Amino acid sequence: MAAPGALRRQRGRGRAALPASPARRGRGRAAPGAMAAYLTHQQKVLRLYKKSLRHLESWCIHRDKYRYFAVLLRDRFDKNKDLKDMVKATELLKAGEEEFWASQHPQPYIFPDSPGGTSYERYELYKIPEWSLDFWHPSEKAMYPDYFAKREQWKKLQRESWEREIKQLQEETPADGPRTEALPPARKEGHLPPMWWHHVTRPREQPM
Amino acid sequence: MDLLLVLNLTALLTLATLSTPIIFPLLSENLKNTPTTITNTVKTSFLISLIPMTIYIYSGTESLISLWEWKFIMNFKIPISLKMDLYSLTFFPIALFVSWSILQFATWYMASDPYITKFFTYLLFFLIAMLILIVANNLFVLFIGWEGVGIMSFLLISWWHGRAEANTAALQAVLYNRVGDVGLILCMAWLASTMNTWEIQQLSSPSQTPMLPLLGLILAAAGKSAQFGLHPWLPAAMEGPTPVSALLHSSTMVVAGIFLLIRTHPLFNNNQTALTLCLCLGAISTLFAATCALTQNDIKKIIAFSTSSQLGLMMVTIGLNLPQLAFLHISTHAFFKAMLFLCSGSIIHSLNGEQDIRKMGGLQKMLPTTTSCLTIGNLALMGTPFLAGFYSKDQIIESLSTSYLNSWALVLTLLATSFTAVYTIRMTVLVQSGFTRIPPLAPINENNPAVTSPITRLAMGSIVAGFLITSFILPPKTPPMTMPLSIKITALTVTALGIILALELSKVAQTLILTKQTPLSNFSTSLGYFNPLMHRFNTTQSLKGGQNIASHLIDLSWYKLLGPEGLANLQTLAAKTMTTFHSGLIKAYLGSFALSILIILISTH
Repeated sequence: MAAPGALRRQRGRGRAALPASPARRGRGRAAPGAMAAYLTHQQKVLRLYKKSLRHLESWCIHRDKYRYFAVLLRDRFDKNKDLKDMVKATELLKAGEEEFWASQHPQPYIFPDSPGGTSYERYELYKIPEWSLDFWHPSEKAMYPDYFAKREQWKKLQRESWEREIKQLQEETPADGPRTEALPPARKEGHLPPMWWHHVTRPREQPM
Repeated sequence: MDLLLVLNLTALLTLATLSTPIIFPLLSENLKNTPTTITNTVKTSFLISLIPMTIYIYSGTESLISLWEWKFIMNFKIPISLKMDLYSLTFFPIALFVSWSILQFATWYMASDPYITKFFTYLLFFLIAMLILIVANNLFVLFIGWEGVGIMSFLLISWWHGRAEANTAALQAVLYNRVGDVGLILCMAWLASTMNTWEIQQLSSPSQTPMLPLLGLILAAAGKSAQFGLHPWLPAAMEGPTPVSALLHSSTMVVAGIFLLIRTHPLFNNNQTALTLCLCLGAISTLFAATCALTQNDIKKIIAFSTSSQLGLMMVTIGLNLPQLAFLHISTHAFFKAMLFLCSGSIIHSLNGEQDIRKMGGLQKMLPTTTSCLTIGNLALMGTPFLAGFYSKDQIIESLSTSYLNSWALVLTLLATSFTAVYTIRMTVLVQSGFTRIPPLAPINENNPAVTSPITRLAMGSIVAGFLITSFILPPKTPPMTMPLSIKITALTVTALGIILALELSKVAQTLILTKQTPLSNFSTSLGYFNPLMHRFNTTQSLKGGQNIASHLIDLSWYKLLGPEGLANLQTLAAKTMTTFHSGLIKAYLGSFALSILIILISTH
């Protein structure tokens, strides 16, 4: 039911196997650990394993029972881990996915902050953008004098570095669009990373 | 001392005290509301409302206050009249006591919310609308309260309106309530045209009341009180914060439908068909909701389905022609259901937002007060002898068993009672006992008195309320006193069977057998497949029908077929027929001349 080499750590790297990206630099090149367009067989098997463990957790409420069946499940995956024939491995994966579909839990456990959870997006309405600070009344701004004193300098810095950030992004993105959502770091001395203002002024996850 | 004057004054003073946090900030800039002031206002209101209740219990004084009349047509009176009778005078202190506890709890639960004062103001508006509904003497004032609680329910369910599910749930609540409102307006229209009044006093008719207004009232109650068919909004309403669920969707708003039926009870008295309809609808609702609650894993959804089931039981009581018993069940249910919600809110906040009972366990040692009160509430819900729920629930089942009505409804209700025991014990076992499954680093504490005192206060209420209310308020007609022992202990037996079943199932859940999906468990988990069937099918059919009417009926038929294209079709038809005659042969033309001359000769002769 498992794939070859899926659960075995690859030598030389600290994490699971990655799609082999051609050696290119910058935003067009997928950095180690980035997402590529297609999933490898190992990634698919690992996703199936994690899904089935989570649904097993939804079925087996008590931890000792869950641990028993989780060990049995791991053994089922481990039995086929040295399979070299890709055709057979794909067939096993397909059978595994079908078995998962048939025995999934109708109300799987979803973490509260995950999509579909009970407190997902709950505080979205309190996340207002930072430019609303410019519209505060002077009496309100006087309550935080040190912040607003430095704020103008920060805004000036952002205006100055914007052109350089955009230039860096335009140079590094390949012609048919970016390969990954990850933003590159600053390349030159004295430059700031692209879109740093967007990251620094992001709203907090939960209101105070 | 004129008791009537004191009664009227204190009752009106209760309502006036509640409206001070709304009026005073409008009068002056300095008088701002805070959550604490609103809580204290409700507490004061509760203490004031004890006076008219005491007067009523000790002297039986009832009153009818007529405040103003809307003279809008000459021959139809719409007075703003309020009735202080058993139902309103007893429900006032109960609703205010429960609201006070919930508001005190909400000062802790919603402490991190930036707009907490707005939240409390919404709750206060809701409370005022609910009390207007309770105290109304005519259907006009009741309708004002009815719509008021509907609107506040919408605003409060979608409190966190950044969440898509909360907005959907609020819309669902409004739409289902609107369907019910159609029934209420139908009944009001029928009453206005036939009896020329909306007053509750003038409602009884000597002969059998026709079905139409009664069907309207039953539809209104089904919409507001989440009976089967119009029930999906109640579990969805759990998207709102826990104080909202505790106040609106367990103790006060959802009983408004049943309260309407209690108020308009004289109309139902002589129509046995309507009563049987209530009975069967209630029986189906209580069993369906109890079935759905069996496999839910969200603690708030379990309690929501439990509420829906108890509302079905209240509808059954209405169907048995026992409105005062239904009111007793409303009163006792308010206490323990609100307490269950507050306990679940305390648990949820302590576990950092975790609502799934699969990730709770062993909380008995970590949250002793909360779990003790949860146990008391669950016991009261199951109808444990001499707690609050027993006095109403046991009497209902006894009356149902000894009446000569529908025995199918009886079987369904008994089955639902045992299911109540099953899901209650399941919830207790998974939440409180066993080894803990909670995520680490949870801020578990009960140190805040704003949490423990409302819950313990409501626990006291859950224990003594049933006893107190039945001691002081006698039933209007004698309940069945003599019955065989087996009938007398039916409710207790099925509850005990349910408890045993639940304990056995929880033991099975700990053995090393892997559970799979079965058709029955799937039915229960997907809530009877009701939501996708109704929500998708009805809406797609309506929209498709509307599209067909708009495009085919109007555009195609009226504009084209009956207009230019139709005429053109007719003309081409005529032209095609005529062209066959244009053959070009002289003999045919000579023949047609001869035919026309012959016709002229014959006609002129």
